[in-house]
Amino acid sequence: MTFEFSRRNVLKTLSCGFGYMALAGLTTEAAEDSQNPLTPKAPHFPATAKRVIFLCMRGGPSHVDTFDYKPQLLKDSGKKAPNQKSRKLMGSPWSFQQYGESGLPISDLFPHLGKHADDLCLINGMAGEVPNHPQAYLKLHTGSFRFVRPSVGSWALYGLGTENQDLPGFITLNPETRVGGAQNYGSSFLPAYYQGTAIGQINQSLANARFGNIKNARFSESLQRQQLDLLQEMNQELLKKKEVSSELEGVIESYELAFRMQNAVPTLMDVSNESKETLEMYGIGVRETDNFGRQCLLARRFAESGVRFIELCHGNWDQHGNLKGKLESNCRATDRPIAALLSDLKQRGMLKDTLVVWGGEFGRTPHVKRKDGRDHNATGFSTWMAGGGVQGGQRVGATDEYGIAAVENKMNFHDLHATMLHTLGLDHTKLTYRYAGRDFRLTDVYGRVVKEILA
Amino acid sequence: MSRLLFFQFGLLLSAVLLNPCQLIGQEEITADHLAFFEKKIRPVLVSHCYQCHSKNSKSLKGGLALDTLEGIREGGDSGHAVVPGDVEGSVLMEAIRYESMEMPPKQKLSQAVINDFQKWIEMGAPDPRKGAGLIKREIDFHDAKKHWSFQAIQRTEPPSVENEAWPKNSVDQFILAKLESKGLRPVSDASRQVLIRRLYYDLIGLPPSSEQLQAAMEDDSPDAVENLVDRLLDSPQFGERWGRHWLDVVRYAESNGRERNIVYPTAWRYRDYVIDAFNNDTPFNRFIQEQLAGDLLPGAGDNEAIATGFLAIGPKLLNEGNREAFVMDLVDDQIDVTTRAFMGLTVSCARCHDHKFDPIPTAEYYSMAGIFRSTRTLYGTKKQQGNRQGSSLVALEIPEAKKSAAAKQKKQSELLKDELRAVQKSIVKLQAKTRELANRKTNDKQYKPDAKQSAALRKSLSNARKKSSGLQKQIKNLGENDIEFMAMGVQEGKVADSPIYVRGEVTGRKGTASRGFLTILESDLEQRLIENAQSGRKELADWIIARENPMTARVAVNRVWHHLFGNGIVRTVDNFGATGESPTHPELLDFLAIGFQEQGWSIKRLIRRLVLSRTYQLAADYSQVNYEIDPDNFLLWRHKSQRLDAEALRDAMLLASGDLDLSPAQGSPVSKLRGEFGRGNSTAVAKAASQHRSIYLPIVRNAVPDVLKLFDFAEPSILVGERPVTTVPTQALYFLNSELVTSQCDRLARRLLAKTSMDDAERINFAYQSVLSRAATDSEVKRARKYIDKLADDLSVGDEDRSQLMAWSGFCQILFGSAEFRYVD
Repeated sequence: MTFEFSRRNVLKTLSCGFGYMALAGLTTEAAEDSQNPLTPKAPHFPATAKRVIFLCMRGGPSHVDTFDYKPQLLKDSGKKAPNQKSRKLMGSPWSFQQYGESGLPISDLFPHLGKHADDLCLINGMAGEVPNHPQAYLKLHTGSFRFVRPSVGSWALYGLGTENQDLPGFITLNPETRVGGAQNYGSSFLPAYYQGTAIGQINQSLANARFGNIKNARFSESLQRQQLDLLQEMNQELLKKKEVSSELEGVIESYELAFRMQNAVPTLMDVSNESKETLEMYGIGVRETDNFGRQCLLARRFAESGVRFIELCHGNWDQHGNLKGKLESNCRATDRPIAALLSDLKQRGMLKDTLVVWGGEFGRTPHVKRKDGRDHNATGFSTWMAGGGVQGGQRVGATDEYGIAAVENKMNFHDLHATMLHTLGLDHTKLTYRYAGRDFRLTDVYGRVVKEILA
Repeated sequence: MSRLLFFQFGLLLSAVLLNPCQLIGQEEITADHLAFFEKKIRPVLVSHCYQCHSKNSKSLKGGLALDTLEGIREGGDSGHAVVPGDVEGSVLMEAIRYESMEMPPKQKLSQAVINDFQKWIEMGAPDPRKGAGLIKREIDFHDAKKHWSFQAIQRTEPPSVENEAWPKNSVDQFILAKLESKGLRPVSDASRQVLIRRLYYDLIGLPPSSEQLQAAMEDDSPDAVENLVDRLLDSPQFGERWGRHWLDVVRYAESNGRERNIVYPTAWRYRDYVIDAFNNDTPFNRFIQEQLAGDLLPGAGDNEAIATGFLAIGPKLLNEGNREAFVMDLVDDQIDVTTRAFMGLTVSCARCHDHKFDPIPTAEYYSMAGIFRSTRTLYGTKKQQGNRQGSSLVALEIPEAKKSAAAKQKKQSELLKDELRAVQKSIVKLQAKTRELANRKTNDKQYKPDAKQSAALRKSLSNARKKSSGLQKQIKNLGENDIEFMAMGVQEGKVADSPIYVRGEVTGRKGTASRGFLTILESDLEQRLIENAQSGRKELADWIIARENPMTARVAVNRVWHHLFGNGIVRTVDNFGATGESPTHPELLDFLAIGFQEQGWSIKRLIRRLVLSRTYQLAADYSQVNYEIDPDNFLLWRHKSQRLDAEALRDAMLLASGDLDLSPAQGSPVSKLRGEFGRGNSTAVAKAASQHRSIYLPIVRNAVPDVLKLFDFAEPSILVGERPVTTVPTQALYFLNSELVTSQCDRLARRLLAKTSMDDAERINFAYQSVLSRAATDSEVKRARKYIDKLADDLSVGDEDRSQLMAWSGFCQILFGSAEFRYVD
């Protein structure tokens, strides 16, 4: 219990408080003393990225067929797998090409993304714990599957606030509903305003997805404004009667924000004012790329508007069978949109301060079960990063000659999280929240910033 | 709780140096060996390890000291660091090879250095170092006992006050004395109207209807307020309000959540049990006993069995393959909810290491774990994909009238199952035959299959399959009733003490802990537990509710205070440990705790006492003088204005519109589901409209209804004694645009327009009374009429009745959306 008898404390409540900062809409400077927990806060040290776009490939994308080039696996294709004698190794059915000045090897499944090789840092030494979807997926998102913990996006929002008060600070597009569902973007013990806002759900078209309660079905904008005016008049009267009430100020302000959001959100989600070239670049209008193209384009639009953390989900990458057909169609659906996102961010000068992360909950075995399917492989897999503060054109970490296990610069999800937070200027050991009598971290007691990834 | 190494050691822990109990390392050391140690080993230890693992390190990590022979041999929390001659048994090797822990954390040592260590251990780990022995941190219980909440509850007389006319009861004396000592004066009393609204919401979670409001306003008898309070306490809605507060604390939900969201179709029975317990004013000590050990109480019946659902409804790692790991996580959830809900102690922080702040050693965590390990938890999810840890349920008494039906059904189900087995057998046979024909064809090129025979075979196979799926459906339909007389709960299991697991990992066993309680709250009940052949749950409950236990009554009283006053006397309602806050009024807390114990642990009497205090009945007014001294209202110079919680918001809207069904809902929509939520069953169930009170809405983890979630409903996977209160634009959007709000506005508008005996001014007044529990002022009436008329004109949908309805509905929406509706003064 503390008594604070300071002038500042009184001023805090007497001034315009929360409302003032929020009305300013796009605010860029940290607002000290503001009561709105979502106003931008200064990071622990200078950040290299202001925001994150996380491209989440649900199901465990095969690393040896995409970003982890394994010539020895190809050579020994058909031989018995060293870790599973009853299974046979299978070299990737796709060839790899070297791209860019860096000559990074990338599979033919990603011809468009290949052109961005010099911006990509391939992380080939990922290693998780559990080769089960739900556990690994939760761990990827919250750092824990044993306990209900806040999502990485919630932590980022808690640490930094967000730049546009007309929009949620953490948005997840087409999230997975199983394997932990909303827990993957939930705020757990962090206050509810840090939780992710979901738009759409996995495997459904984003074209028809809606933001909850954003539209009034009954009144025109002017009639609604008149209604709101009377409502606010009542609220102001009450505030006057109360003399001082930050809660009432908060309510009054939240209505103004909501009213603006009704325009801001649908406008932002309406991509029809984008040029034909842009839509084409993202593959919107072409059946196989349309949905993920929309997700990527929306991600750019949200990023541009100041949203702190944006996650896009694409499934299903769980190819126990029909690897050839399904993996190829997954890659076709995502390659062009992701490449477009990177180009678009770059041409707008945003790639340098946007961290883009691609990855799934684990990788797939270099050996095959049936003729054409790979199983779960958590001991070694790949992710990649690009943009804000990432040294592109390199591979960090490595798996063994076949891609079974990480052997060099091994990195787990805590390390991934620590590194992501680092680019945002947050020290993962200092970003703590007190709950149930102790301080919690996203990385628990683990996590290592993998410096090799950083520029 | 997970591993925590980097947090500061609390003040309660003191470092003491122990003499090593057995002397190790009196071996002779050869000169070669000595040279090897000095050249290859010691420098590495000094430069890479001592920073965290020596007596000079700021905090000794992992309980491991590497700067003495004794320290390095004995090891830390993870086991012996170095075992001479045994490379694989030396944890230090694992760590430097980055196999388990990764040490040193900054960078792995070079392979050459690692080889040196291996060689050194192989040669017997010669080590000439001497020193003060190993460092162990021990809890000084005597010192720890000084923390306020561990001290016995003190009986104090209410203090005298200067303004003797002010207090209505002894609670007020404590409050006023403190205010006076700081030079503060309480604000004025709340108006009758404000008090009535406050009492309705606080006690039953609903506003008064306009008739109830009027009656209460007109009652000018001297004990009008007392009578109102008694009526509300007796109302069946009381249990629905206060039961929900308890459900927050016990992480109540109807599904598992976690990685596999498997439904709990019988969880609602526990919900109903809680509501009934509050309505019946079950003594709180009995309430605790029933939830922890209802099955062990004399004369236990269904009610007591259902009560133990408390231990079964938590989220579980159902897909865990390792049974022991699963059990220990389940036990952890039970320890956590038991110790925090009843005693405000975070005992599960001690799972992996001694509690960093409170005097709870890991060994005592495992003493409690033994009690729950000796208990069978029955939660009723079936083994299936994604659920490796199935369990049955507790069977309840089948009512006489239903017995024959149940028996008949069981028999029918068995017959069907027999039939199914037969059909499945025939399918296997037919399949074998088909294969045989196919093989013959491949092996014998001359063989010409008989087309007729093949067709007949195909037909029989398809018929058999159809029959099989039909039977399966029938069995499934019958199975819908399989849980009609079942409940979640616990029973006695195999009684045994628990192993102690180093760092909470089931791979790191280090001795066992005999079942028992916490040393800091010592009790002779422990002896009874040891003598008794049972799990010890009964004794655990008795230990928790013992008069001498200083935590339980204080925690309970504080929870009630928190709900009535908006903050606890101890603001951290779930944490009375060293990291929690201290009570603002410690004497008052003890005074109330003793009264609670002496008055039969009655929640209703406690509430009555508190709401009849003058402190509770204060206005929520601002006072600049007081505000400057105590802006956070720690001293209670005014009443705290509180945001309606999610349930009250929804219930009040439904009540005003005339839509609310006050009868208790029967069971839950979730009871119709089986298996994983959303897989092979429809998630629509969780969203279906309901006219019952919000406590009866289905609570599926990760799928909490929007109206609840948006307004800070307690996250059902964790224990929540105090809900956060947020104000965010998505709430405003909900009032502006949601289906639920607009439909309630329409209904209220219809209700108003149907009052043909009223004129518009009276209708407006009725709306104010229904939504805001007060009359409208003249100017408000005028303003509202102007708004409604204009809106009806502007809408001009062609149909006059419809325009009117929409205009009135638009006006009702303003009332529902107003801050005045959302806050209770």
